Amino acid sequence: MNRKRTALAVAAAGTATGVVGLVLIASPAGAGEAPPALPDISAEALVQSVLDADAPAMAGAVELRNDLGLPLPGLPQGKPGEDVARIYADGQGRARLSLDEGGSERTIVHDGSTTWIWNSATRSVQKLEGGPDEERAERMADPATAARDFVALMQKDSTVTVDGTARVADRPAYQLVLTPKPTERTLLREVRIAVDSETRLPLRLDVLANGQAEPALRVGFTEFATGAQDAGLFSFTPPAGAKVTEGERGERPSKQERTDALEGLDLKHVGEGWDTVLTGKLPADALTRQAPENGRGDRGPATGLDLLKQVGKEVSGPFGSGYVVTTKVGTALVTTDGRVALGAVPQQVLVDALGQK
Amino acid sequence: MTAMTVPAPLTARRAPLPRLMRSELRMMLRRPRTLIGLGLLALVPVVAGIGIAIATDANSDEPMGQGLETLVAGNGLLLPVFALVVSLNMLLPLTGAMLAADALAGETAHGTLRNLLTAPVGRARLLAVKAFGVATVSLLATLLMAVTGTIAGILLLGGEGMLTSSGTQLPFLDGVGRVLLTVVLVTVQVWALAAVALAVSAWTEHPLIVVVVSLGLVIVSGVLSVIPALDWLDPVLITTSWQSVSDVVRDPLPTGSITEGLLRAACYIVIGYSLALSRILTRDG
Amino acid sequence: MSGVSEGTVAAPAAAVPPAARTRGLRKVYRGTVAVDSVDLEVPTGAVLGMLGPNGSGKTTTIRMLLGLVTPTAGEVELLGQKMPDGAALALPEVGALVEGPGFHPFLSGRENLMRVAAAEPLLASARIPGAVADALERVGLTRAAGRRYRGYSLGMKQRLGLASALLVPRRFVILDEPTNGLDPAGTREVRAVIADLHAAGTTVLVSSHLLAEVEATCTHVAVLNQGTVVAQGELAALLEAGSANLLVTTPEVTRAVEALRDHRIPARAVPDGLRVDLTATTAPQVVETLVHAGVPVHEVRRQRTGLEDLFARLTEDTNVIEDAALDDLATLIPEDAR
Repeated sequence: MNRKRTALAVAAAGTATGVVGLVLIASPAGAGEAPPALPDISAEALVQSVLDADAPAMAGAVELRNDLGLPLPGLPQGKPGEDVARIYADGQGRARLSLDEGGSERTIVHDGSTTWIWNSATRSVQKLEGGPDEERAERMADPATAARDFVALMQKDSTVTVDGTARVADRPAYQLVLTPKPTERTLLREVRIAVDSETRLPLRLDVLANGQAEPALRVGFTEFATGAQDAGLFSFTPPAGAKVTEGERGERPSKQERTDALEGLDLKHVGEGWDTVLTGKLPADALTRQAPENGRGDRGPATGLDLLKQVGKEVSGPFGSGYVVTTKVGTALVTTDGRVALGAVPQQVLVDALGQK
Repeated sequence: MTAMTVPAPLTARRAPLPRLMRSELRMMLRRPRTLIGLGLLALVPVVAGIGIAIATDANSDEPMGQGLETLVAGNGLLLPVFALVVSLNMLLPLTGAMLAADALAGETAHGTLRNLLTAPVGRARLLAVKAFGVATVSLLATLLMAVTGTIAGILLLGGEGMLTSSGTQLPFLDGVGRVLLTVVLVTVQVWALAAVALAVSAWTEHPLIVVVVSLGLVIVSGVLSVIPALDWLDPVLITTSWQSVSDVVRDPLPTGSITEGLLRAACYIVIGYSLALSRILTRDG
Repeated sequence: MSGVSEGTVAAPAAAVPPAARTRGLRKVYRGTVAVDSVDLEVPTGAVLGMLGPNGSGKTTTIRMLLGLVTPTAGEVELLGQKMPDGAALALPEVGALVEGPGFHPFLSGRENLMRVAAAEPLLASARIPGAVADALERVGLTRAAGRRYRGYSLGMKQRLGLASALLVPRRFVILDEPTNGLDPAGTREVRAVIADLHAAGTTVLVSSHLLAEVEATCTHVAVLNQGTVVAQGELAALLEAGSANLLVTTPEVTRAVEALRDHRIPARAVPDGLRVDLTATTAPQVVETLVHAGVPVHEVRRQRTGLEDLFARLTEDTNVIEDAALDDLATLIPEDAR
């Protein structure tokens, strides 16, 4: 049965080719490759070079993956292989950041003197005089900035080592590992930062929790190329018909609700280093008010308290009673009287922090 | 066997491929179902344009909808892109599946495939002709939508050039280029689904089964892609590239995700056509 | 030896290879045997009638001849080419109407034929319109050619199918139930077409479940039943072949049988009388013997000829023949005729 054999061969070969292709698309570039050989470098020298490095002219695409166990509000939900942001920089302080927020896009252009924030969902432009003052989410989207901030902050309470090399965004990189000192009471095992061997720019930040093999959080470049960028990228003209607001700091129409809520929180840091706990107080009606998001209209009333009951576990202690929400990298405690504590720490540390008030 | 000399020498002559393809296209474009489908698809951008124009007139302050929709008002060149991206969710895959269903399963059911096989049209050539027909009519469908969408967009919504989702304003010709790029990307995605549908079509003689299986694939892919625990599956799903087609209205163009979408579609095309070929070589006609 | 396949119109069988031949053909569909050990031979230049009740494997055999279906076992040769692999070589010269006409309902008759013509390897593009017009003319569809196939009557559909088989001058034409749905006039036209083809030297294979049709047009016959060829050969030879029987109606069966046995004439009791084998005797002799023995003879008639009898039984009552017919066939048809 010659024909049957041919047919089987065709089916097998074609299907195999297609599946291999799909798998190749699915697997990140450089996976399975031998780590690149780079000259040895001490941890101190590497950290110093990271902190000293100048941002070069570059273009890159950023992926964000979180496996926190809970979606973190405000952070774009990343999926493997999907870029959440694109970054362009001219090396002289002008930059463009383009955030993919599902159906809409936010573009932040800093042209040297003015920062423009375009939000396609509202077709509005916010114009800020002065340097870029990006919100946390947007800062997080730039792995270089996020990692550098983190290194500066955590150096003191961590053991810093260089753990070999890796290939990130198809570039050879050193793996800088920050491990919490034994005295730190944290859920985190280590933070790995891949540092570009050439520019000394952090290319990827991995947060690993205790007992987890895969990073709970990963922000990193999937594409990264240095070189001069088109100057047109770093200027912005508000398109015709767009709402333009001359922004004062803190006045953010796009995130009005979230910002308002943040400001009423009365935030305080308790402790330092890995076991820093953020405490605060929720606005009086936060737990009983209907949730502003997720309200699909036809759904029954979902108050913050209902939501907490759903995701959290009821606890009681010296602070009274409340709900504790546990994720792989952190814990949050909300008491029934509206006090909040959260950190990358076990529950007991939060209880202690609330007690310190 | 040795005595079996054949009087007149038989030579393997074949009907010219272009002639077969012309004949196939002529037949497809005479099929009422195809024509109705094309007509309805051509109407989609017009209806969407009218809807958006009315909604914009009613409350011109607030941008409405989500995703691309917010950008379409007063931004006519985006209408064809919007219509194509929206139709890629269901209407265009349905069209591709229907074309593929009619191509093999439908012709088998009507007994018309036999006429071609006994002519004879070689089985591999038959698949090539069918693939050509399905691919051409899918392209025609998206092109038609782009044309009616562009005209409706300019007439109903106006706007100069194209406002991208990155907040930049492209000149008219660049905007048209983006529309054509959308046509290409959407068409290739439809081709990918149609390739899989054609493989199913080679397996059955019930056109409805082809449509059901193809749409089942789309729906299952869609469901799998929203289950967070199965995120690792995403890069393999056929629908993943469909969501990234709207990247064409970003500026600068994110070539990475666009190329990836095309490659993914190519993988599905290879899988679909090799399965279809393998089946058509052995199936009883 | 019996000369059933010898002495065909054209030439001795040894010189001209058959237009089609199968050996040990077997096809199993999902565990159901559709065709088994079919050894069929279609002599070149013959008009072979393939007879058999519905479900006897005629269409399956034809589909395997055309390479549409791959046999489970056995070999098929069409115009000297092994099928299905030699399809590209053999099929251009073969016209076929299989399993009823299959056309697009939304296209006119002419457009449908144009589409088939576009796929015909032997038709140059320039000759297509002429060939289509000729084929339509030949089956009498010229006036209805512009109408949509959807609106065609069963007979017109059948004619269009016939036309598609006749688009190109063929060496071999295979027609599966070509007179299905045709009125008597249409049937006559089909017979005329077949006669024309035969006159032009084209080999024709016609399948049918109607003996009359086969008798009227065919030079050769193959009878299929339950997936096997139970008889094949020249029509004339088959019609004569087989031992003729005499049916005698008498109330005194036992006495009649004994009387005949005394004269060494084999006879068997049947309801209302007896059946006498005429291989070794003649009808007058039988009657004489019976009358001499004083047996009252109410009626004596010759049983129908071999093929007729066989086929009547096959088609009239498929259930009854299941066991009996096959046994009888062995005696009815000379071994070498099969």
